[in-house]
Amino acid sequence: MSTYIYAITPAGHPTALDGLAGVGDPPGELRVLRTEALGAVVSEAPEDLRAKRRDLVAHQSVLERLMRDGAVLPMRFGIVGPSDRHVLDSLEEHRDAYVERLKEVDGCLEFNLKVSRDENDLLREVVSESEEIRRLNAVTRQNPAAHAEKVALGELVSREVRVREESAAAEVVKQLAPTARRHSLAEPTTKHFLNVSFLVGRAEAASFSQAVDEEAQRRGEAYTLSLNGPLPPYSFV
Amino acid sequence: MSVVPQTNSSGGSGGSGNLYDVLELILDRGLVIDAFVRVSLVGIEILKIDVRVVVASVDTYLKFAEACNRLDLESGRKAPSQLTDIVGEATESGAKGKSKGALTGAVEAFSDSLQGKREEREEEPAEREPKKASSSASGNRRTPRRRED
Repeated sequence: MSTYIYAITPAGHPTALDGLAGVGDPPGELRVLRTEALGAVVSEAPEDLRAKRRDLVAHQSVLERLMRDGAVLPMRFGIVGPSDRHVLDSLEEHRDAYVERLKEVDGCLEFNLKVSRDENDLLREVVSESEEIRRLNAVTRQNPAAHAEKVALGELVSREVRVREESAAAEVVKQLAPTARRHSLAEPTTKHFLNVSFLVGRAEAASFSQAVDEEAQRRGEAYTLSLNGPLPPYSFV
Repeated sequence: MSVVPQTNSSGGSGGSGNLYDVLELILDRGLVIDAFVRVSLVGIEILKIDVRVVVASVDTYLKFAEACNRLDLESGRKAPSQLTDIVGEATESGAKGKSKGALTGAVEAFSDSLQGKREEREEEPAEREPKKASSSASGNRRTPRRRED
């Protein structure tokens, strides 16, 4: 029977998991494997485990509970070791690295911020600031068959859009980074030009959220800032 | 816990269920142990957010051009004389008279959860409404022109 791993904790973590169940159907029973320095929260992984939505929820719920009570290294979803023995061996083998990383995230939470901007707002800005774009826009509006002009217009606009989004993304990060310990950029999404996670000390969480709130107001209604957290420090392990 | 969405622009707050919003963290971040395997993610991966792929292609350009052609250049602008205000002032462009940004997410929840009220926030995740936290923010459009083709 293989072993599904949720998280690695310091040995002193209370790992209070009452009321929670593991992945699988029926849900696996949560257990803690312990070495001298570390603990690993695990459950049996059925041989044919196929990830479903409820499994993601189970994984996330275990991590949120662990995060509440102390430092935790969240595993990526779906990591399965061949046996408990292998998990324990791995804890020993990488002990120093895990202990070090646990120290780094101790007392910290992750907050993920995604920022989007109203498309028309952005395009209006781009059009209003370039005479050439305005000219091409007028030409192609009057003559939708003007293929070359359309391509030229689109190329100019896409370049402007990228420049503006990159600069706005950098500004937002610059504004918020001082209130966080660390930050980690992730891939922008089709909707969001900025996707970034911050590692924030528990004591600083309120001032961090305040800073995000202020940034949202400063940016104005054309921008949408979606903040999610506190989360286990997925992006900082 | 910790997933109560809050929107400061409307004061409204809906259900939670932000699993989708953090899916890429759960699936793509987090610690791995090299020697171990990973369960099949078939079916789960399609739930993931679309990562933006910027393709410099004629097709992309045409979409940008058409979006510009469709643009109502007058809305969101008081008068042409304000063009210069918009220039160089990205923070307020298009938002004259409205200064608030939209902030969605879990910002209310953590001040509570960090002050010992965590138990009250604890819910069975299964009970979470599968509502998108950010859907309460108006105008949060999808942008077809940016999608990968």
